[in-house]
Amino acid sequence: MAPFNFVIDIPVRNEWANVDLLRNSILNCFSAIFRDVDGCHIIATVAGELLENAIKYGTWTVQESPFRLRVYGMGRKVEVSMENPVDPGSEAVKRVFQTLEWIKTFPSAEEAYRAKLLEVASADRQLGESRLGLVRIAYEGRCRLSAELNGDMLRVSSIAEY
Amino acid sequence: MMDDFVSGALQVTASDPGDVKVMRYQWTGRSNDRQPGKLLAPFFSRVLADAQERKVGVEMHFERLEHFNSSTITAFIQLIQDARQKAVSLTFVYNQSLKWQRLSFDALRVFVKGDGLLDLKAV
Repeated sequence: MAPFNFVIDIPVRNEWANVDLLRNSILNCFSAIFRDVDGCHIIATVAGELLENAIKYGTWTVQESPFRLRVYGMGRKVEVSMENPVDPGSEAVKRVFQTLEWIKTFPSAEEAYRAKLLEVASADRQLGESRLGLVRIAYEGRCRLSAELNGDMLRVSSIAEY
Repeated sequence: MMDDFVSGALQVTASDPGDVKVMRYQWTGRSNDRQPGKLLAPFFSRVLADAQERKVGVEMHFERLEHFNSSTITAFIQLIQDARQKAVSLTFVYNQSLKWQRLSFDALRVFVKGDGLLDLKAV
């Protein structure tokens, strides 16, 4: 991708339909800036997976609580981050940090992703939650993932160079 | 009788492959449901039962699909396992010029075994 500086920083309502709206919006915005269609698609996928996780695992006791999506580019570096309210002591939050640590135990994100696919295949399908999304974006997005908990706000960030 | 599947932005359309040994399905649009597995499972079940009865394989064509979320990948894994259990030959055909498809489907090669029941075909 050619180096451009940009920022998208928006509050989002926690409605599932917004995932597709925003993923497509990001794809369209980036397609207008960059010629690298593959890179644009990957950034949109990263944003989509982070949005899905925020809606699935966030704490939405106040129906209209917004969360925040930020896509920031400087030179060849692109950061996608999602900030949403959580119950700090919840299993969902623990699993985010555990998943990020688990990815680091592999020599590469590709190996972590393949291991995760096999884990999904051997899991009880009734349990439902695969947590595949974070591992997918580490692999397909070739990005470094991090998470930060500030009070009851969880921010998950993905940083990659394209 | 081959049937179609439509849900939200996703369409899976049965097409005539001109080959009596295979049932072909074209995927278009986007698979972005919160729980795509719940929606797709009954469809996959019908497809596999039909293929088993007719003693034919199943080809899923993803070349024109725009996007799928990670929950859809979980549904694909379940389809692979169910097809293998029913001894139905399953082929995923994808567009290797699209990086996201290449990465997603290449990774599914972890499920290819010597039984020849799963094939991942890049076009």
